[in-house]
Amino acid sequence: MKRFLDWWANPWGQPRTLAVVTWLYMLWAIVPVCIAVLFSFNDGRSRSVWQGFSTRWYWGDPDQSVLHDPALRGALEQTLKLAGLAMLIAVPLGVGLAIGLTRWRGFGARPVNFLMLFPLVTPEIVMAVSLLLVFVSLYKIQLGTTAQALGQVTFSISYVVLVVRGRLLSVGRQYEEAARDLGASTLGALRLVLLPLLAPAIFASLMVVFALSVDDFVVTDYLSSNSSTQTVPIKIYSSVRGTTTPALNALATVMVVATLVAVTFAALVYRRFNKLQQGGGGAVSELAALEA
Amino acid sequence: MSVGVIDLVSLRKEFSDVVAVDGIDLHVDGGEFFSLLGPSGCGKTTTLRLIAGFERPDSGKIMLDGVDMAATPPHKRKVNTVFQSYALFPHLDVFDNVAFGLRRRKEKRAEIRQRVLQVLEAVRLSGLEHRRPVQLSGGQQQRVALARALVLNPAVLLLDEPLGALDAKLRKALQLELKGIQEQFGITFVYVTHDQEEALTMSDRIAVMSEGHVEQVATPSEMYEEPETAFVADFLGVSNLMTVEVEPDGSVCRIKLGDFTLRALGGAVGARGDARAVIRPERVRVEPYESTGENRVPGMIERVVYLGSSEQLVIRLASGEVVNASVANDGSERNYVQGTAVQAHLPADALRVLPPPRL
Repeated sequence: MKRFLDWWANPWGQPRTLAVVTWLYMLWAIVPVCIAVLFSFNDGRSRSVWQGFSTRWYWGDPDQSVLHDPALRGALEQTLKLAGLAMLIAVPLGVGLAIGLTRWRGFGARPVNFLMLFPLVTPEIVMAVSLLLVFVSLYKIQLGTTAQALGQVTFSISYVVLVVRGRLLSVGRQYEEAARDLGASTLGALRLVLLPLLAPAIFASLMVVFALSVDDFVVTDYLSSNSSTQTVPIKIYSSVRGTTTPALNALATVMVVATLVAVTFAALVYRRFNKLQQGGGGAVSELAALEA
Repeated sequence: MSVGVIDLVSLRKEFSDVVAVDGIDLHVDGGEFFSLLGPSGCGKTTTLRLIAGFERPDSGKIMLDGVDMAATPPHKRKVNTVFQSYALFPHLDVFDNVAFGLRRRKEKRAEIRQRVLQVLEAVRLSGLEHRRPVQLSGGQQQRVALARALVLNPAVLLLDEPLGALDAKLRKALQLELKGIQEQFGITFVYVTHDQEEALTMSDRIAVMSEGHVEQVATPSEMYEEPETAFVADFLGVSNLMTVEVEPDGSVCRIKLGDFTLRALGGAVGARGDARAVIRPERVRVEPYESTGENRVPGMIERVVYLGSSEQLVIRLASGEVVNASVANDGSERNYVQGTAVQAHLPADALRVLPPPRL
């Protein structure tokens, strides 16, 4: 009661209650992940009873560790392969689209700008089912790596466009005009001025696409052909009900770490670039929103 | 023939729903400091962007030294621009920013180095070659932008409110510096500004623009002393604009201000009927109520504003008009207070008749 009265008297003081609630939530959200990570280092086969520390499920066990079990290792390799493909395809395309869309002033620009956001709001399962349908019966694309990569590119491009467009709008047209004024051709201005200025956004979108691809379950699962094109999330999901070992936890941990490293790295590089170039805050907050 | 001569012929540019530049004709001499002056939205920046090549005109010609370059892309024009926001490349240091244009021309490395250092010295930035733009003050950034354009020896330099982002004191210093650089390099400057004082101090000639057309082209003193339109009179400094009726009387021009008849010597003295008359506040003489003579109108001081170097008196004339008078603070004894009855002397040679505003 006294706390409340204090707050009433001075609402600008330290919001202690809010801080406590926030910290409780953080604990609630992070504890399950920590426990899963912890049991990946379990010495025994149990995923719930602690039997001592070891790294056998990462590389120690000759048959069942992530390194040596062909199914787990294959899943990890497939995941990284897809992430690489998605980054390579989605980012250049997305950058081009973003540049095009910010320039396009004529008829159709508004609806297209709006439609770019469509993949962000479409339920993933709907997207996955429709992609499966058109890939199989319309485009005759072989299910498996090709289809999976195309599927991931389809929805991750929207994120790339969002991030890059935010940066483009904060950069404005002045630098390109200055470059043209000083004798650079259209392409020269793009290469020498616009792309370097977009570098932080391009880098951020690479990392976002990586995180999206590694995380994706629904689309990747629908477009997979057989067990050889299973990714880590699919592998974890399908084996969770069978007899499992902490190797699964180890696999999940590798994923968590990879994603965390990617996103942290992206944020750091982005901040560094911005400090260097005094870029606008628009793209930063947009990125932060995406990461959240 | 000198280089850097610009001729705009019936130049017109429309954006989706507004006419930004409405068929203007302008001639700028080689080596001239020419200002485009006007309020925001008058088309001055669009005119500049048309000359630079960032906008394509809907019709008309942009002649540079006798060659129409309306269809030439910006990187092939012999004009360079200093942007309002400077647009210095943030990922390059000062040296690379200034060298950017020379590198596009594929000049030799040693040549580039020499010319960059030379121009940096001319704008007093020696020693800062390896700074990034963000590490420079506003005034220094402004000079880098200037150096980056000057190093290319353009025939014409276009400046879009280059001092707009600086504080008042720095502006004053850079105004003189800019003018000095212009004289030193002998390049045609086309300077866009909305600041009438800036235009008056620096320019050889000024074009005042309003709503996409040119109101008047004149030297600073002509522009100030002999405005041709009410818009120009009003835009350049404080003016007293009065609605009058013109009554030609033989060779003299008489204007009726309410019940008072005044003689005017300047402006459109041949006009008939409704018109406007203008007089600068510093030309209005404030005399004791008893004084008599032509062009004197009785009035009462409504307000006295002390401005340091002068006093501004707001006088309500007997005809109903309000006239501002500026009285120099030259040490002579005076005690104008609110409510004093005075005679406002509007000398005939300071009173100009302007044609009624265009519809």
